[in-house]
Amino acid sequence: MMGPVDPALRDALAKQFPDVFAAEGDLDPNGVVVPAELHVALAKTLKESFGFTLYVSVIATNFPTSDGETYEVATVLRNPTTAQPFWWRVRLGADPQLATLYPLFAGADWQEREQFDLLGVNFVDHPDMRRLMLSEDWEGFPLRKSYAIDTPHTPWR
Amino acid sequence: MAIDDGRSFEHPLYHYWENSPGGGIGLTSLDRLLMHSARHSLWFFPMATSCCAIEFMTAAASRVDLDQAGTIIRPTPRHCDVMVVAGTITVKMAPRVKKLWDQMPEPKWAIAMGSCAICGDFYRDIYSVVPGVDVIIPVDVYIPGCPPNADQVMVGLQRLQDKIKLQLEGKFVERELRPGTMIYPKIGTHGDARQSAEVAQAQLDGARGLGVGGKEHRVPRPAAVQAPPEADATSDSGEQS
Repeated sequence: MMGPVDPALRDALAKQFPDVFAAEGDLDPNGVVVPAELHVALAKTLKESFGFTLYVSVIATNFPTSDGETYEVATVLRNPTTAQPFWWRVRLGADPQLATLYPLFAGADWQEREQFDLLGVNFVDHPDMRRLMLSEDWEGFPLRKSYAIDTPHTPWR
Repeated sequence: MAIDDGRSFEHPLYHYWENSPGGGIGLTSLDRLLMHSARHSLWFFPMATSCCAIEFMTAAASRVDLDQAGTIIRPTPRHCDVMVVAGTITVKMAPRVKKLWDQMPEPKWAIAMGSCAICGDFYRDIYSVVPGVDVIIPVDVYIPGCPPNADQVMVGLQRLQDKIKLQLEGKFVERELRPGTMIYPKIGTHGDARQSAEVAQAQLDGARGLGVGGKEHRVPRPAAVQAPPEADATSDSGEQS
């Protein structure tokens, strides 16, 4: 969970992304919801202007709603000098596609592959978007809510 | 210093061999000799994937010494007689286990060590776990436990030795059955019509992070501790000295 953010950082973000960040009050502790178009731009700004050079993790979640499947991809960066984390979330539709952060952070390589493996979130322009943990002939994405937990995988189970 | 009069050495075979005609020569068939050798020089291949491997290492260490039965643990299947499957086998791992088993030379035996290798235990119903390694390879001895302790590994080895003796003598060996799989209480998913409304409500509340009856049970976070007022530098140094 994101703690209180430095006011200077908040004001600078509000200036650069006025539609997303408010200049007043604390940011959403669960992570600010950001449109998918601003995903890479926000990461680039945080890395180059505010010292968030450590890529902590990316976590995708599947929420089936009455409108259809929705996905939320939360990204966590950290500033190593101040130990300040920064979270944001991107909401995606039934066919989740999101731009990769691999050109900015080399550590995103396997983490994005893991989310592709388990949730099926396709990170566009990732150089090596293959399954990471499950076998390569696996069908389906097991952490999706529509995937039955006792799905047979012949001849092994 | 005692003189060796032949009585101080009490090994039964000693007298048997000494008193047999020809003295000092034991006669046996080659089959029996090979059988004896096979039983007491089993080389283990540790197919160790998780925490049972730690207990298997304990069995190989000096307190319960697996070496006293003539075993050697070799991390290559081509030299080994016994595969010890210690740990959960996932669907991705299963073809590798089968491949390693096929690489072992005959005669070969398999030990399933621990609940996960026997039946999958609490990972049994998960999409990526094989429910028991006997789905893939024929298991001779099951060592139940989670994990089984080192003594049980030793007992399992002795059971395997007994079994090998019967097998190589050409006697009938009863197939060892998989130990009874635990039956867990079946709790349905939320919204299952077969379970009571109370259970459904409790599941819903639990998912929301609430206590019984939907009441908030989280303890509010304590307020941030105020930094103590800055003490005088001179008094600090005075206390320390």
